[in-house]
Amino acid sequence: MSSTTLLPEEAPLPSHARTKSSQTKRYGFFPGCVAKESCKELFNSTMLLADKLGIELIELTAASCCGASVLNDVNRDVARVLNARTYAQAEALGLDDVITICSTCTGHMRAANKELVESEERMTQANAILGKFGARYNGSVTVRHLLWLLIDDIGLDRLSSMVVRPLNGLKVAPFYGCHIIRPESVNGWESARQPHSLEDLITAIGGQPVDYAGKTRCCGFHVQLEKDGIAPAMVGQNMRMAKDNGAEAVITPCPLCHLALDGYQADSAARWGRTDLPTFHLPQLVALALGVPAEKLGLNKHIIDPRDAMVARELIS
Amino acid sequence: MATIKLDIFRFDEATDTIPHRDVVAVDLPETTTVLDALEYAKSEIDGSISFRRSCRSAICGSCSMNIAGTTGLACKTACNTVMDEDGVVKVDPMPNFQPMKDLVVHMDPFWDKYSRLKPYLQPADRDEEHPTERRVSPEDMKKLVDVANCVMCATCYALCPVVSVDPAFAGPAAIAYAYRFIEDVRDDHRKERIAQISEDYLWLCAHCYACSYCPKHVDPNDRIIDVKRAAISDRVMMDERGPRHALVVSRTIKHSGMLEETEVIQGTVGRFNVRGLLKVAPLGMRMAMRGKLPPLFMKPIPKVDEVRQIFETLEVPVS
Repeated sequence: MSSTTLLPEEAPLPSHARTKSSQTKRYGFFPGCVAKESCKELFNSTMLLADKLGIELIELTAASCCGASVLNDVNRDVARVLNARTYAQAEALGLDDVITICSTCTGHMRAANKELVESEERMTQANAILGKFGARYNGSVTVRHLLWLLIDDIGLDRLSSMVVRPLNGLKVAPFYGCHIIRPESVNGWESARQPHSLEDLITAIGGQPVDYAGKTRCCGFHVQLEKDGIAPAMVGQNMRMAKDNGAEAVITPCPLCHLALDGYQADSAARWGRTDLPTFHLPQLVALALGVPAEKLGLNKHIIDPRDAMVARELIS
Repeated sequence: MATIKLDIFRFDEATDTIPHRDVVAVDLPETTTVLDALEYAKSEIDGSISFRRSCRSAICGSCSMNIAGTTGLACKTACNTVMDEDGVVKVDPMPNFQPMKDLVVHMDPFWDKYSRLKPYLQPADRDEEHPTERRVSPEDMKKLVDVANCVMCATCYALCPVVSVDPAFAGPAAIAYAYRFIEDVRDDHRKERIAQISEDYLWLCAHCYACSYCPKHVDPNDRIIDVKRAAISDRVMMDERGPRHALVVSRTIKHSGMLEETEVIQGTVGRFNVRGLLKVAPLGMRMAMRGKLPPLFMKPIPKVDEVRQIFETLEVPVS
């Protein structure tokens, strides 16, 4: 059972009560900042999905931000040591896996872990600082995205067999987000140039994946404040390609991409034409297919309302 | 042997208004490089196919092109790794450039950004400590060797999504090359160089790692981060949004352990920059209407003192 309380209206139904058998796989869970701030619907739908899957996500409540790809710009060590602190917390709880729900968290936490595990000097440096407050990281943690957990641990066949509300051929464009695939030396779970995990997942839950060149490109989130107009242009470019190839909706494993794609299509319309593609967080769409009621998934929090697209495919009435 | 069908972008700016495509089939071993397949097609089938090439061994940097939807050196790409199930290898000119003829593009914007760096050493005059030459230790040289491997093929520039929407951005190669001079102990223009590359939108890098596909493993993505750190440690152009963003992110994580979205927006744009805040307001309004504004104040995470201790031990700059 997670130590975090869900919002009352989005708490699981009693019939969905989490399995507490010793068989239940336990994972360390690192939600990241955005899922706790402007994308709470991602956090809640992740917990509802975990419930359906019968896995236990144990939130690392004292974990800090991963560094968000920005802390490296001010200091070469701080993000690594902050993440070492997070891993030490997971180890102390006896958890080998730290599951993320954000592409940027995935990439940066894996990069930090790789640096720690591959360099005795860096591990020693981190532990010297952690030692000041009695913590220690031994290098046993693996950071994985929820997407990888779904495919490796649950398996697409099993997932497919659990589907009670297939997506009825909804045409979904995958949007990976940079840091879950690049750099390949850090992630390496699938080809960065030709990834297909999201496509496989979309197919497994009854949707039709839409191929387009923008799926592995950048959403512009990380430079949205640096210069006006850049992020909307990048969003417009990518969503235009998706729309032209027939997409009715987008799925992304990253809340930062979600904020950019959901938030900036209104601004990109002048240059790229109206796209208005509703964007789902990865666990929302999977949870929906697995039978979590749509009204529990926080879809009303999206700027581009996904409900029209869902009605058109008879996913909701 | 395999039949490799080269699906080639054809265009001549002197005569054509719109491009067309030719499919040229060549019978060659499937491990043939894309460049050798193109060479064969040009010499045996259609002499008018145009592309740049010279060394054929990933040293000259001439033959970068878009192959099967992604950019790389044709001489370093085997056909069997990029062929579709019908044996088709799609070749296009590098994106982010104006096509000139077939796979040849106008490289001028790339070279312009490179020459703005003054890409040569500018040491100080001789002084008592340096009566003859300025020496560089092997350790100092080590930092520069990787960047010195850059063959200026422009693969990173072609892959850069920021260049594609804002051609004013210096691009990965130029920033990596700026690093090569900024970190060279023999050079005497460090601050000017950092200021120059900051003006050319160093901070507009979107952290997307598209340039991590560098065929020479220069990893411009990491060098861009190095140059940003140099800008912060030397305090060059600190009023720009880029450094302000980095430093306010740092401050909020030190404060609460979390990246505080509301504070980061205000701290980057400027709390009293009304015009700037108005520009980000429409998105804020849209989010507010959906009840998804980030909290105004963040409660610190449990044991936030540990986080602060990490920041203090490492002397991490904050705004």
